Amino acid sequence: MTASSLAQVFIVATYEIRKYIRGRRLLGILILVGLIVGLFLGLPPALGIRYATTPNAFVSTFATFASLLVILSGVLFAADALVAEHEKRTGYFLFPNPVRREVLVLGKIAASLIVSVAVISLYYGTAALAALAITGSLTWDVGLSYLYAVGYATSVVGIAYVLSATLKSTVAATVLTFFLFTLIFGIVGAILPLAKIEPWFIPTSASAIIGNVLGGPSLGPGPGGGAGGGFVPDPATSLLVFAAYAIVGGILAILLFRRRELSS
Amino acid sequence: MFMESARAESPSREAPVHLEGVGKEYGHFTALKSLDLTVPEGTSLGFLGPNGAGKSTTIKIMTNLIRPSRGRAALFGIDVRREPTRALARIGAVIETPEFYGYLSPIETLAYAGRLRGMHKSEIESRSEAVLGEVKLREWADHRIQEFSKGMKQRLAIAQALLHEPQLLILDEPTSGLDPRGMVEVRDVIKSLTGEGRTIFMSSHLLGEVQEVCDEVALLNHGELLIRGSVRELSRGAETSTFQTTFLQSPTQADLELLASIPGLEEVKAGGDATVNFRISGGQEGQARILAAMVSRGLKVTTYRPVGSPLEQLYLDRIQESDRL
Repeated sequence: MTASSLAQVFIVATYEIRKYIRGRRLLGILILVGLIVGLFLGLPPALGIRYATTPNAFVSTFATFASLLVILSGVLFAADALVAEHEKRTGYFLFPNPVRREVLVLGKIAASLIVSVAVISLYYGTAALAALAITGSLTWDVGLSYLYAVGYATSVVGIAYVLSATLKSTVAATVLTFFLFTLIFGIVGAILPLAKIEPWFIPTSASAIIGNVLGGPSLGPGPGGGAGGGFVPDPATSLLVFAAYAIVGGILAILLFRRRELSS
Repeated sequence: MFMESARAESPSREAPVHLEGVGKEYGHFTALKSLDLTVPEGTSLGFLGPNGAGKSTTIKIMTNLIRPSRGRAALFGIDVRREPTRALARIGAVIETPEFYGYLSPIETLAYAGRLRGMHKSEIESRSEAVLGEVKLREWADHRIQEFSKGMKQRLAIAQALLHEPQLLILDEPTSGLDPRGMVEVRDVIKSLTGEGRTIFMSSHLLGEVQEVCDEVALLNHGELLIRGSVRELSRGAETSTFQTTFLQSPTQADLELLASIPGLEEVKAGGDATVNFRISGGQEGQARILAAMVSRGLKVTTYRPVGSPLEQLYLDRIQESDRL
Protein backbone atom coordinates (compact mmCIF):
# COMPACT_ATOMS: atom_id res chain seq x y z
CA MET A 1 0.00 0.00 0.00
CA THR A 2 2.98 2.29 0.59
CA ALA A 3 3.85 4.66 -2.26
CA SER A 4 6.95 3.79 -4.30
CA SER A 5 10.24 5.35 -3.25
CA LEU A 6 10.30 7.54 -6.33
CA ALA A 7 6.77 8.75 -5.67
CA GLN A 8 7.74 9.44 -2.06
CA VAL A 9 10.75 11.51 -3.17
CA PHE A 10 8.38 13.57 -5.31
CA ILE A 11 5.86 13.96 -2.46
CA VAL A 12 8.53 15.03 0.03
CA ALA A 13 9.94 17.51 -2.51
CA THR A 14 6.54 19.10 -3.19
CA TYR A 15 5.86 19.61 0.53
CA GLU A 16 9.34 21.02 1.07
CA ILE A 17 8.84 23.50 -1.76
CA ARG A 18 5.52 24.46 -0.20
CA LYS A 19 7.41 25.10 3.04
CA TYR A 20 9.81 27.48 1.33
CA ILE A 21 7.00 29.32 -0.42
CA ARG A 22 4.77 29.64 2.64
CA GLY A 23 7.65 30.28 5.00
CA ARG A 24 8.43 33.41 2.98
CA ARG A 25 12.06 32.46 2.43
CA LEU A 26 11.44 32.36 -1.29
CA LEU A 27 9.72 35.72 -1.14
CA GLY A 28 12.70 37.13 0.76
CA ILE A 29 15.24 35.99 -1.79
CA LEU A 30 13.04 37.14 -4.68
CA ILE A 31 12.93 40.59 -3.11
CA LEU A 32 16.73 40.46 -2.91
CA VAL A 33 16.93 39.48 -6.59
CA GLY A 34 14.62 42.38 -7.45
CA LEU A 35 16.78 44.74 -5.43
CA ILE A 36 20.03 43.62 -7.10
CA VAL A 37 18.52 43.82 -10.58
CA GLY A 38 16.94 47.19 -9.80
CA LEU A 39 20.25 48.60 -8.61
CA PHE A 40 22.18 47.26 -11.59
CA LEU A 41 19.70 48.69 -14.05
CA GLY A 42 18.72 51.83 -12.20
CA LEU A 43 21.96 53.15 -10.74
CA PRO A 44 24.10 53.62 -13.89
CA PRO A 45 21.62 55.98 -15.65
CA ALA A 46 20.96 57.76 -12.37
CA LEU A 47 24.70 58.39 -11.99
CA GLY A 48 25.23 59.24 -15.68
CA ILE A 49 27.25 56.05 -16.39
CA ARG A 50 26.75 54.27 -19.68
CA TYR A 51 25.79 50.61 -19.76
CA ALA A 52 28.31 48.11 -21.12
CA THR A 53 27.97 47.68 -24.86
CA THR A 54 28.60 43.93 -25.14
CA PRO A 55 26.32 41.26 -23.63
CA ASN A 56 29.24 39.50 -21.88
CA ALA A 57 30.38 42.68 -20.19
CA PHE A 58 26.83 43.56 -19.27
CA VAL A 59 26.02 40.18 -17.71
CA SER A 60 29.45 39.81 -16.07
CA THR A 61 28.46 42.22 -13.31
CA PHE A 62 25.34 40.23 -12.64
CA ALA A 63 27.53 37.13 -12.59
CA THR A 64 29.73 38.60 -9.86
CA PHE A 65 26.75 38.53 -7.52
CA ALA A 66 25.51 35.18 -8.75
CA SER A 67 27.87 33.36 -6.37
CA LEU A 68 26.42 35.19 -3.38
CA LEU A 69 22.91 34.42 -4.57
CA VAL A 70 23.82 30.75 -4.90
CA ILE A 71 25.24 30.73 -1.36
CA LEU A 72 22.16 32.48 0.04
CA SER A 73 19.93 29.96 -1.72
CA GLY A 74 21.92 27.12 -0.15
CA VAL A 75 21.69 28.73 3.27
CA LEU A 76 17.96 29.45 3.04
CA PHE A 77 16.80 26.32 1.21
CA ALA A 78 19.17 23.60 2.37
CA ALA A 79 21.12 24.31 5.55
CA ASP A 80 18.35 23.53 8.05
CA ALA A 81 16.36 21.01 6.02
CA LEU A 82 17.47 17.91 7.95
CA VAL A 83 18.44 19.27 11.34
CA ALA A 84 15.04 20.96 11.73
CA GLU A 85 13.30 17.56 11.75
CA HIS A 86 15.20 16.76 14.95
CA GLU A 87 15.36 20.15 16.57
CA LYS A 88 11.74 21.10 15.89
CA ARG A 89 10.53 17.56 16.62
CA THR A 90 8.64 17.24 13.33
CA GLY A 91 10.56 13.97 12.91
CA TYR A 92 8.20 12.43 15.45
CA PHE A 93 5.45 12.90 12.88
CA LEU A 94 7.45 12.12 9.75
CA PHE A 95 9.81 9.27 10.67
CA PRO A 96 7.29 6.66 11.89
CA ASN A 97 5.78 6.72 8.41
CA PRO A 98 6.93 3.95 6.05
CA VAL A 99 9.51 6.14 4.35
CA ARG A 100 13.22 5.42 4.21
CA ARG A 101 15.52 8.13 5.49
CA GLU A 102 17.35 8.27 2.16
CA VAL A 103 14.04 8.99 0.45
CA LEU A 104 13.47 11.91 2.81
CA VAL A 105 16.96 13.27 2.15
CA LEU A 106 16.62 12.89 -1.61
CA GLY A 107 13.19 14.57 -1.60
CA LYS A 108 14.54 17.45 0.43
CA ILE A 109 17.65 17.80 -1.76
CA ALA A 110 15.43 17.82 -4.85
CA ALA A 111 13.33 20.61 -3.34
CA SER A 112 16.41 22.62 -2.38
CA LEU A 113 17.84 22.28 -5.86
CA ILE A 114 14.56 23.12 -7.61
CA VAL A 115 14.06 26.28 -5.58
CA SER A 116 17.72 27.35 -5.82
CA VAL A 117 17.79 26.77 -9.58
CA ALA A 118 14.51 28.66 -9.95
CA VAL A 119 16.02 31.67 -8.17
CA ILE A 120 19.22 31.51 -10.26
CA SER A 121 17.16 31.09 -13.43
CA LEU A 122 15.08 34.14 -12.62
CA TYR A 123 18.22 36.15 -11.91
CA TYR A 124 19.99 35.11 -15.11
CA GLY A 125 16.80 35.33 -17.13
CA THR A 126 16.31 38.92 -16.08
CA ALA A 127 19.98 39.71 -16.74
CA ALA A 128 19.80 38.10 -20.19
CA LEU A 129 16.62 39.97 -21.11
CA ALA A 130 18.14 43.24 -19.96
CA ALA A 131 21.33 42.50 -21.90
CA LEU A 132 19.29 41.73 -25.00
CA ALA A 133 17.27 44.92 -24.62
CA ILE A 134 20.26 47.16 -23.91
CA THR A 135 23.06 45.67 -26.03
CA GLY A 136 20.82 44.16 -28.70
CA SER A 137 22.49 40.74 -28.57
CA LEU A 138 23.24 37.70 -26.39
CA THR A 139 26.06 35.16 -26.38
CA TRP A 140 26.30 31.49 -25.46
CA ASP A 141 28.72 32.56 -22.72
CA VAL A 142 25.77 33.94 -20.76
CA GLY A 143 24.14 30.52 -20.89
CA LEU A 144 27.40 28.86 -19.83
CA SER A 145 27.75 31.24 -16.91
CA TYR A 146 24.21 30.29 -15.88
CA LEU A 147 25.03 26.58 -16.12
CA TYR A 148 28.16 27.05 -14.01
CA ALA A 149 26.09 28.91 -11.42
CA VAL A 150 23.66 25.99 -11.34
CA GLY A 151 26.61 23.61 -10.98
CA TYR A 152 27.94 25.68 -8.09
CA ALA A 153 24.48 25.59 -6.48
CA THR A 154 24.54 21.78 -6.48
CA SER A 155 27.85 21.78 -4.58
CA VAL A 156 26.60 24.37 -2.08
CA VAL A 157 23.47 22.29 -1.49
CA GLY A 158 25.54 19.10 -1.09
CA ILE A 159 27.77 20.63 1.56
CA ALA A 160 24.84 22.34 3.30
CA TYR A 161 23.12 18.95 3.63
CA VAL A 162 26.20 17.38 5.21
CA LEU A 163 26.21 20.13 7.83
CA SER A 164 22.46 19.80 8.27
CA ALA A 165 22.78 16.06 8.88
CA THR A 166 25.66 16.56 11.31
CA LEU A 167 24.88 19.58 13.47
CA LYS A 168 22.32 19.70 16.25
CA SER A 169 20.83 23.14 15.75
CA THR A 170 19.32 24.91 12.79
CA VAL A 171 21.10 28.13 13.70
CA ALA A 172 24.50 26.41 13.78
CA ALA A 173 23.87 24.71 10.43
CA THR A 174 22.69 27.93 8.79
CA VAL A 175 25.47 30.13 10.17
CA LEU A 176 28.22 27.61 9.44
CA THR A 177 27.03 27.07 5.87
CA PHE A 178 27.01 30.81 5.27
CA PHE A 179 30.44 31.47 6.75
CA LEU A 180 31.94 28.38 5.16
CA PHE A 181 31.22 29.76 1.71
CA THR A 182 31.62 33.47 2.35
CA LEU A 183 34.64 33.32 4.62
CA ILE A 184 36.35 30.01 5.37
CA PHE A 185 36.63 28.64 1.81
CA GLY A 186 37.67 32.11 0.66
CA ILE A 187 40.48 32.29 3.22
CA VAL A 188 41.68 28.76 2.42
CA GLY A 189 41.49 29.49 -1.31
CA ALA A 190 43.56 32.65 -0.83
CA ILE A 191 46.23 31.04 1.37
CA LEU A 192 46.77 27.82 -0.61
CA PRO A 193 48.45 29.57 -3.60
CA LEU A 194 51.00 31.03 -1.17
CA ALA A 195 52.02 27.45 -0.44
CA LYS A 196 52.13 26.78 -4.19
CA ILE A 197 48.95 24.69 -4.02
CA GLU A 198 46.32 25.49 -6.59
CA PRO A 199 42.91 25.72 -4.88
CA TRP A 200 41.05 24.02 -7.73
CA PHE A 201 39.30 21.74 -5.25
CA ILE A 202 37.86 24.60 -3.18
CA PRO A 203 34.29 25.21 -4.40
CA THR A 204 34.45 28.98 -3.99
CA SER A 205 37.67 29.07 -6.04
CA ALA A 206 36.10 26.81 -8.65
CA SER A 207 33.05 29.09 -8.75
CA ALA A 208 35.15 31.87 -10.29
CA ILE A 209 34.38 30.31 -13.68
CA ILE A 210 30.88 31.79 -13.37
CA GLY A 211 32.26 35.25 -14.05
CA ASN A 212 35.37 34.19 -15.92
CA VAL A 213 33.44 32.66 -18.81
CA LEU A 214 32.09 36.13 -19.52
CA GLY A 215 35.52 37.68 -19.54
CA GLY A 216 35.23 38.85 -15.96
CA PRO A 217 35.27 42.42 -14.78
CA SER A 218 38.49 43.10 -16.72
CA LEU A 219 36.32 43.62 -19.81
CA GLY A 220 35.54 47.08 -18.58
CA PRO A 221 32.93 48.85 -16.57
CA GLY A 222 29.57 47.19 -16.84
CA PRO A 223 26.63 48.42 -14.87
CA GLY A 224 28.42 48.60 -11.56
CA GLY A 225 31.70 46.84 -12.24
CA GLY A 226 33.27 44.56 -9.62
CA ALA A 227 36.44 43.15 -8.28
CA GLY A 228 37.74 39.84 -9.60
CA GLY A 229 40.98 38.02 -10.00
CA GLY A 230 42.49 35.11 -8.09
CA PHE A 231 42.89 31.50 -9.17
CA VAL A 232 40.50 30.28 -11.85
CA PRO A 233 40.61 26.64 -12.83
CA ASP A 234 39.37 25.43 -16.17
CA PRO A 235 35.62 24.89 -16.58
CA ALA A 236 35.78 21.10 -16.86
CA THR A 237 37.71 20.81 -13.59
CA SER A 238 35.33 23.18 -11.86
CA LEU A 239 32.29 21.25 -13.05
CA LEU A 240 33.88 18.04 -11.77
CA VAL A 241 34.60 19.72 -8.44
CA PHE A 242 30.96 20.90 -8.20
CA ALA A 243 29.70 17.43 -9.09
CA ALA A 244 32.03 15.79 -6.57
CA TYR A 245 30.87 18.02 -3.72
CA ALA A 246 27.24 17.55 -4.71
CA ILE A 247 27.41 13.75 -4.98
CA VAL A 248 29.71 13.10 -2.03
CA GLY A 249 27.76 15.64 0.03
CA GLY A 250 24.46 13.99 -0.83
CA ILE A 251 25.74 10.49 -0.04
CA LEU A 252 27.32 11.63 3.24
CA ALA A 253 24.12 13.43 4.22
CA ILE A 254 22.13 10.25 3.60
CA LEU A 255 24.53 8.10 5.61
CA LEU A 256 24.67 10.56 8.51
CA PHE A 257 20.90 11.09 8.53
CA ARG A 258 20.26 7.34 8.49
CA ARG A 259 22.49 6.84 11.50
CA ARG A 260 21.10 9.78 13.43
CA GLU A 261 18.68 8.88 16.21
CA LEU A 262 15.65 10.87 17.22
CA SER A 263 16.07 10.64 20.95
CA SER A 264 15.65 14.16 22.33
CA MET B 1 4.63 -15.81 37.56
CA PHE B 2 2.67 -13.39 35.41
CA MET B 3 5.48 -13.01 32.92
CA GLU B 4 5.77 -16.74 32.45
CA SER B 5 2.07 -17.13 31.78
CA ALA B 6 2.15 -14.25 29.32
CA ARG B 7 4.99 -15.81 27.37
CA ALA B 8 3.12 -19.05 27.15
CA GLU B 9 0.03 -17.28 25.84
CA SER B 10 1.69 -15.40 23.00
CA PRO B 11 4.66 -17.15 21.50
CA SER B 12 4.06 -16.01 17.92
CA ARG B 13 6.90 -14.23 16.14
CA GLU B 14 4.33 -12.96 13.63
CA ALA B 15 2.50 -11.07 16.38
CA PRO B 16 1.87 -7.34 15.93
CA VAL B 17 4.65 -6.64 18.43
CA HIS B 18 7.49 -9.03 19.17
CA LEU B 19 10.53 -7.84 21.10
CA GLU B 20 13.42 -10.21 21.69
CA GLY B 21 16.10 -9.23 24.18
CA VAL B 22 15.82 -5.59 23.19
CA GLY B 23 18.24 -3.35 25.07
CA LYS B 24 19.51 0.17 24.73
CA GLU B 25 22.47 2.00 26.21
CA TYR B 26 23.27 5.68 26.04
CA GLY B 27 26.94 5.72 26.91
CA HIS B 28 27.14 4.20 30.37
CA PHE B 29 23.42 4.62 31.04
CA THR B 30 21.22 1.61 30.45
CA ALA B 31 17.80 2.79 29.33
CA LEU B 32 16.53 -0.70 28.53
CA LYS B 33 18.08 -3.93 29.80
CA SER B 34 16.78 -6.89 27.84
CA LEU B 35 13.14 -6.71 27.03
CA ASP B 36 11.18 -9.72 25.82
CA LEU B 37 7.61 -8.86 25.02
CA THR B 38 5.00 -10.16 22.60
CA VAL B 39 1.65 -8.51 22.03
CA PRO B 40 -0.88 -10.79 20.33
CA GLU B 41 -3.35 -9.52 17.77
CA GLY B 42 -6.38 -7.74 19.16
CA THR B 43 -4.75 -7.00 22.50
CA SER B 44 -4.69 -3.53 24.00
CA LEU B 45 -1.60 -3.46 26.13
CA GLY B 46 -0.88 -0.71 28.63
CA PHE B 47 2.86 -0.18 28.89
CA LEU B 48 3.18 1.23 32.38
CA GLY B 49 6.03 2.68 34.30
CA PRO B 50 7.30 5.81 35.99
CA ASN B 51 9.16 8.50 34.08
CA GLY B 52 12.52 7.21 32.90
CA ALA B 53 11.45 3.56 33.08
CA GLY B 54 12.30 2.92 29.43
CA LYS B 55 8.81 3.17 27.89
CA SER B 56 9.62 5.82 25.29
CA THR B 57 12.92 4.11 24.48
CA THR B 58 11.03 0.90 23.73
CA ILE B 59 8.52 2.71 21.54
CA LYS B 60 11.25 4.59 19.68
CA ILE B 61 13.01 1.30 18.95
CA MET B 62 9.71 -0.17 17.74
CA THR B 63 9.17 2.75 15.37
CA ASN B 64 12.77 2.89 14.11
CA LEU B 65 13.54 6.27 15.62
CA ILE B 66 16.48 4.81 17.52
CA ARG B 67 18.58 1.67 17.13
CA PRO B 68 18.61 -0.99 19.82
CA SER B 69 22.02 -1.75 21.33
CA ARG B 70 21.03 -5.40 21.24
CA GLY B 71 18.06 -7.60 20.47
CA ARG B 72 15.44 -7.47 17.79
CA ALA B 73 12.16 -5.59 17.40
CA ALA B 74 9.63 -6.93 14.93
CA LEU B 75 6.19 -5.72 13.93
CA PHE B 76 3.97 -8.38 12.34
CA GLY B 77 7.08 -10.53 12.06
CA ILE B 78 9.01 -7.90 10.09
CA ASP B 79 12.29 -6.68 11.53
CA VAL B 80 12.04 -2.95 12.11
CA ARG B 81 15.73 -2.29 11.49
CA ARG B 82 16.09 -4.44 8.39
CA GLU B 83 12.82 -3.56 6.67
CA PRO B 84 11.52 -0.36 8.24
CA THR B 85 9.23 0.55 5.37
CA ARG B 86 7.39 -2.76 5.45
CA ALA B 87 7.38 -2.95 9.23
CA LEU B 88 5.90 0.53 9.66
CA ALA B 89 3.32 0.21 6.87
CA ARG B 90 0.65 -1.34 9.08
CA ILE B 91 1.11 0.82 12.13
CA GLY B 92 -0.03 4.23 13.30
CA ALA B 93 2.03 5.96 15.94
CA VAL B 94 1.88 8.90 18.29
CA ILE B 95 5.25 9.44 19.91
CA GLU B 96 5.63 11.99 22.67
CA THR B 97 3.92 15.19 21.56
CA PRO B 98 5.01 15.49 17.96
CA GLU B 99 5.36 18.81 16.25
CA PHE B 100 3.86 19.38 12.85
CA TYR B 101 4.80 21.68 10.02
CA GLY B 102 3.34 25.01 11.04
CA TYR B 103 2.85 26.09 7.44
CA LEU B 104 0.42 23.23 6.77
CA SER B 105 -3.17 22.78 7.90
CA PRO B 106 -4.42 19.54 9.48
CA ILE B 107 -6.03 18.52 6.20
CA GLU B 108 -2.73 19.10 4.35
CA THR B 109 -0.77 17.27 7.03
CA LEU B 110 -3.05 14.26 6.75
CA ALA B 111 -2.76 14.42 2.96
CA TYR B 112 1.04 14.39 3.32
CA ALA B 113 0.99 11.31 5.56
CA GLY B 114 -1.66 9.62 3.41
CA ARG B 115 0.23 10.22 0.16
CA LEU B 116 3.46 8.87 1.65
CA ARG B 117 1.51 5.77 2.59
CA GLY B 118 0.18 5.42 -0.94
CA MET B 119 -3.46 6.17 -0.13
CA HIS B 120 -5.70 7.37 -2.94
CA LYS B 121 -6.87 10.97 -2.99
CA SER B 122 -10.52 10.10 -2.39
CA GLU B 123 -9.57 7.78 0.46
CA ILE B 124 -7.40 10.48 2.04
CA GLU B 125 -10.28 12.95 1.82
CA SER B 126 -12.87 10.66 3.36
CA ARG B 127 -10.58 9.33 6.09
CA SER B 128 -9.31 12.83 6.93
CA GLU B 129 -12.87 14.00 7.39
CA ALA B 130 -13.60 11.02 9.63
CA VAL B 131 -10.49 11.17 11.84
CA LEU B 132 -10.61 14.93 12.26
CA GLY B 133 -14.20 14.48 13.39
CA GLU B 134 -13.15 11.80 15.83
CA VAL B 135 -10.59 14.04 17.49
CA LYS B 136 -12.86 17.12 17.32
CA LEU B 137 -10.67 19.10 14.95
CA ARG B 138 -12.99 19.30 11.96
CA GLU B 139 -13.62 23.03 12.32
CA TRP B 140 -9.85 23.61 12.41
CA ALA B 141 -9.19 21.49 9.33
CA ASP B 142 -8.06 24.38 7.16
CA HIS B 143 -6.23 26.46 9.75
CA ARG B 144 -2.44 26.60 9.81
CA ILE B 145 -1.04 24.39 12.58
CA GLN B 146 1.25 27.19 13.76
CA GLU B 147 -1.85 28.61 15.51
CA PHE B 148 -2.52 25.37 17.42
CA SER B 149 -2.14 24.64 21.14
CA LYS B 150 -0.27 21.61 22.44
CA GLY B 151 -3.54 19.79 23.06
CA MET B 152 -4.74 20.41 19.51
CA LYS B 153 -1.45 19.10 18.14
CA GLN B 154 -1.80 16.01 20.30
CA ARG B 155 -5.27 15.40 18.87
CA LEU B 156 -3.93 15.89 15.36
CA ALA B 157 -1.21 13.39 16.16
CA ILE B 158 -3.88 10.85 17.04
CA ALA B 159 -5.78 11.70 13.86
CA GLN B 160 -2.73 11.07 11.66
CA ALA B 161 -2.07 7.81 13.45
CA LEU B 162 -5.62 6.65 12.69
CA LEU B 163 -5.75 7.95 9.10
CA HIS B 164 -4.85 4.72 7.33
CA GLU B 165 -6.80 2.49 9.74
CA PRO B 166 -3.68 0.76 11.06
CA GLN B 167 -3.78 -2.75 12.45
CA LEU B 168 -1.43 -1.72 15.24
CA LEU B 169 -1.61 1.57 17.06
CA ILE B 170 1.45 2.60 19.06
CA LEU B 171 0.69 5.41 21.47
CA ASP B 172 3.27 7.06 23.69
CA GLU B 173 1.49 8.95 26.48
CA PRO B 174 -1.42 9.82 24.18
CA THR B 175 -3.26 12.03 26.66
CA SER B 176 -0.19 14.05 27.58
CA GLY B 177 -0.85 17.75 27.21
CA LEU B 178 -4.60 17.39 27.00
CA ASP B 179 -7.11 19.04 29.29
CA PRO B 180 -9.40 16.72 31.31
CA ARG B 181 -12.12 16.83 28.66
CA GLY B 182 -9.59 16.13 25.92
CA MET B 183 -8.23 13.19 27.93
CA VAL B 184 -11.67 11.67 28.21
CA GLU B 185 -12.30 12.16 24.49
CA VAL B 186 -9.01 10.56 23.51
CA ARG B 187 -9.57 7.63 25.86
CA ASP B 188 -13.01 7.15 24.32
CA VAL B 189 -11.46 7.09 20.86
CA ILE B 190 -8.91 4.49 21.97
CA LYS B 191 -11.60 2.41 23.69
CA SER B 192 -13.67 2.43 20.51
CA LEU B 193 -10.64 1.17 18.60
CA THR B 194 -10.12 -1.68 21.03
CA GLY B 195 -13.71 -2.60 20.37
CA GLU B 196 -12.87 -2.85 16.67
CA GLY B 197 -10.30 -5.54 17.41
CA ARG B 198 -7.18 -3.51 16.67
CA THR B 199 -3.99 -4.10 18.54
CA ILE B 200 -3.00 -1.21 20.77
CA PHE B 201 0.32 -0.64 22.47
CA MET B 202 -0.08 2.33 24.78
CA SER B 203 2.52 3.68 27.15
CA SER B 204 1.43 5.68 30.12
CA HIS B 205 2.46 6.52 33.63
CA LEU B 206 -1.20 6.82 34.60
CA LEU B 207 -2.45 3.55 35.99
CA GLY B 208 -6.08 4.66 35.91
CA GLU B 209 -5.80 5.41 32.22
CA VAL B 210 -4.37 1.99 31.47
CA GLN B 211 -7.04 0.27 33.58
CA GLU B 212 -9.75 2.18 31.73
CA VAL B 213 -8.48 1.59 28.22
CA CYS B 214 -6.41 -1.59 28.19
CA ASP B 215 -7.08 -5.23 28.83
CA GLU B 216 -3.46 -6.14 29.46
CA VAL B 217 -0.68 -4.43 31.28
CA ALA B 218 3.10 -4.62 31.27
CA LEU B 219 4.99 -2.84 34.02
CA LEU B 220 8.45 -1.51 33.34
CA ASN B 221 10.97 0.10 35.68
CA HIS B 222 14.68 0.82 35.30
CA GLY B 223 14.54 -0.67 31.82
CA GLU B 224 13.25 -4.01 33.07
CA LEU B 225 9.90 -5.73 32.70
CA LEU B 226 8.45 -6.38 36.14
CA ILE B 227 4.94 -7.69 35.49
CA ARG B 228 2.94 -8.73 32.47
CA GLY B 229 -0.65 -9.94 32.53
CA SER B 230 -4.29 -9.07 32.11
CA VAL B 231 -5.63 -6.16 34.12
CA ARG B 232 -8.37 -8.37 35.57
CA GLU B 233 -6.03 -11.17 36.62
CA LEU B 234 -3.51 -8.83 38.14
CA SER B 235 -6.20 -6.96 40.06
CA ARG B 236 -7.62 -10.22 41.35
CA GLY B 237 -4.23 -11.65 42.10
CA ALA B 238 -2.90 -8.59 43.89
CA GLU B 239 -1.83 -9.89 47.29
CA THR B 240 -2.26 -6.73 49.30
CA SER B 241 -4.38 -3.64 49.19
CA THR B 242 -4.62 -0.54 51.33
CA PHE B 243 -7.82 0.02 53.28
CA GLN B 244 -9.13 2.99 55.19
CA THR B 245 -11.41 2.36 58.14
CA THR B 246 -13.34 4.90 60.16
CA PHE B 247 -14.31 4.04 63.71
CA LEU B 248 -17.10 5.45 65.83
CA GLN B 249 -14.50 7.06 68.11
CA SER B 250 -10.84 7.93 67.64
CA PRO B 251 -8.95 4.71 68.32
CA THR B 252 -6.72 4.60 71.39
CA GLN B 253 -3.17 3.24 71.37
CA ALA B 254 -4.60 0.01 72.74
CA ASP B 255 -7.07 -0.15 69.85
CA LEU B 256 -4.24 0.32 67.37
CA GLU B 257 -2.24 -2.45 69.01
CA LEU B 258 -5.32 -4.64 68.88
CA LEU B 259 -5.65 -3.91 65.17
CA ALA B 260 -2.00 -4.69 64.53
CA SER B 261 -2.44 -8.06 66.21
CA ILE B 262 -4.98 -9.22 63.62
CA PRO B 263 -3.29 -11.72 61.27
CA GLY B 264 -3.03 -10.45 57.65
CA LEU B 265 -3.24 -6.80 58.66
CA GLU B 266 -0.07 -4.69 58.38
CA GLU B 267 1.27 -1.14 58.46
CA VAL B 268 -1.37 0.31 60.75
CA LYS B 269 -1.35 4.11 60.62
CA ALA B 270 -3.74 6.43 62.45
CA GLY B 271 -4.99 9.06 60.02
CA GLY B 272 -6.88 11.42 62.35
CA ASP B 273 -10.65 11.98 62.53
CA ALA B 274 -11.11 8.43 63.80
CA THR B 275 -9.67 6.93 60.62
CA VAL B 276 -6.95 4.32 60.36
CA ASN B 277 -5.14 3.13 57.24
CA PHE B 278 -3.66 -0.34 56.99
CA ARG B 279 -2.71 -2.92 54.43
CA ILE B 280 -4.54 -6.18 54.01
CA SER B 281 -3.26 -9.33 52.41
CA GLY B 282 -5.28 -12.28 51.20
CA GLY B 283 -7.48 -10.68 48.56
CA GLN B 284 -11.26 -10.40 49.00
CA GLU B 285 -11.40 -13.27 51.48
CA GLY B 286 -8.78 -11.53 53.58
CA GLN B 287 -10.83 -8.33 53.53
CA ALA B 288 -13.93 -10.13 54.82
CA ARG B 289 -11.95 -11.98 57.48
CA ILE B 290 -10.30 -8.81 58.79
CA LEU B 291 -13.59 -6.91 58.97
CA ALA B 292 -15.08 -9.77 60.99
CA ALA B 293 -11.99 -9.84 63.25
CA MET B 294 -12.24 -6.11 63.98
CA VAL B 295 -15.92 -6.39 64.85
CA SER B 296 -15.35 -9.49 67.00
CA ARG B 297 -12.66 -7.58 68.95
CA GLY B 298 -15.21 -4.92 69.81
CA LEU B 299 -13.98 -2.22 67.47
CA LYS B 300 -16.92 -0.12 66.22
CA VAL B 301 -16.35 0.19 62.49
CA THR B 302 -18.47 2.79 60.63
CA THR B 303 -16.76 2.66 57.21
CA TYR B 304 -14.36 0.20 55.62
CA ARG B 305 -13.15 0.91 52.11
CA PRO B 306 -10.16 0.34 49.84
CA VAL B 307 -7.86 3.24 49.02
CA GLY B 308 -6.94 3.02 45.35
CA SER B 309 -7.14 -0.22 43.42
CA PRO B 310 -5.39 -3.51 44.13
CA LEU B 311 -3.56 -3.04 40.84
CA GLU B 312 -2.33 0.34 42.00
CA GLN B 313 -0.97 -1.23 45.14
CA LEU B 314 0.68 -3.96 43.10
CA TYR B 315 2.16 -1.31 40.82
CA LEU B 316 3.53 0.73 43.70
CA ASP B 317 4.86 -2.35 45.50
CA ARG B 318 6.70 -3.61 42.43
CA ILE B 319 8.12 -0.20 41.63
CA GLN B 320 9.34 0.23 45.23
CA GLU B 321 10.77 -3.27 45.23
CA SER B 322 12.55 -2.59 41.94
CA ASP B 323 13.85 0.77 43.21
CA ARG B 324 15.34 -0.92 46.27
CA LEU B 325 17.34 -3.39 44.17
